[in-house]
Amino acid sequence: MANSATLTTDTKSQWGGGKSPFSISYGKLMMWIFLLSDAFTFSSLLVSYGFVRYSFSGNLETPWPSPDHVFNHFPFLHGLHLPLMFVSLMTFILIFSSVTMVLAVEAGHRMAKKEVAKYMFLTIIGGASFLGCQAWEWSQFITGSEAGKVIADGSIFHGATLSMNEYGPVAFADLFFIVTGFHGMHVFSGVVLNIIIFIQVLNGTFEKRGHYEMVEKVGLYWHFVDLVWVFVFTFYYLI
Amino acid sequence: MSAHTVEHLEHTESPSDMKSQIWKTFWILLAFTIVDIGLYFALDPTMIRNWVFIILGVVKAFFIVSIFMHMKFERKFLAWMIILPMVLVIFLITLMVVEAKYVDDHVNKDSVAKPTTEEVHDTHAH
Repeated sequence: MANSATLTTDTKSQWGGGKSPFSISYGKLMMWIFLLSDAFTFSSLLVSYGFVRYSFSGNLETPWPSPDHVFNHFPFLHGLHLPLMFVSLMTFILIFSSVTMVLAVEAGHRMAKKEVAKYMFLTIIGGASFLGCQAWEWSQFITGSEAGKVIADGSIFHGATLSMNEYGPVAFADLFFIVTGFHGMHVFSGVVLNIIIFIQVLNGTFEKRGHYEMVEKVGLYWHFVDLVWVFVFTFYYLI
Repeated sequence: MSAHTVEHLEHTESPSDMKSQIWKTFWILLAFTIVDIGLYFALDPTMIRNWVFIILGVVKAFFIVSIFMHMKFERKFLAWMIILPMVLVIFLITLMVVEAKYVDDHVNKDSVAKPTTEEVHDTHAH
């Protein structure tokens, strides 16, 4: 009896109860479901960005600005026209922090506490650097250029708020704040989660538990944040 | 019963060469991002260039999900359960492209070409 049951494991008893048909723990499965719903949220934000931008192509009065002329700054290199350079740096930082995260997961499978701690720490540093870069990017965007834009009453307006900006249509700044802000919020929560897990790794919580699955769960979330950045980078800065 | 009973979790195994796969994926992602940046400066902004960027983005997403998020080594059923609903996003994009084209043709271009009384109430007042 026992033999025939094990023989059919891969087919019929897969859904027969008593085990996960996905060979995955409940927590990880729910993390995947959450990430799917989050993917929908980000998709709708990016699709609305696409909608607004595409519908502005015939508007000659306030055309959609080229990212070339808006995001062309780099720290300590004031006044130089360097489009895409700073945001590429941010992309590299985030990709690299994703690599250290997956290395932490890999070390967790081997129950190597010290390595997990080391890679988790590097991931936190990467995430914090990314947030710092984004803060700088936002402050550049909000401060604006020295030239600014002459508005209806004759005064000059610099930078951007939610209701006005010097770069083009109001929606341009609004969508920039919402999309990168929502992503930055995710990075921030990811860093907080990583710090909590890092402390638990140091305390030996997972060593006692016998597995490092929590590292895998925050890892899934962290890679998702990296994944979203790939698309924010593509749609906001490249296209 | 000892205070810390070791739990056993169901999970799919990683391949033995996981570390080298991780680094390989890292170099692929890095290379594609550099290609992105190169094309941004090398080509004029056209629809073709945009499509190249989108395809490169999807390829990068594939590598992140399959290797970094371990999806390649999970059961196929889980992978399809997560990926298939994303088809709805393609549906949404299609609808919104059609709508945006309409708005562009009938709101922006019309108001520029033949100014009417409607324009007074238009959003240009901002």
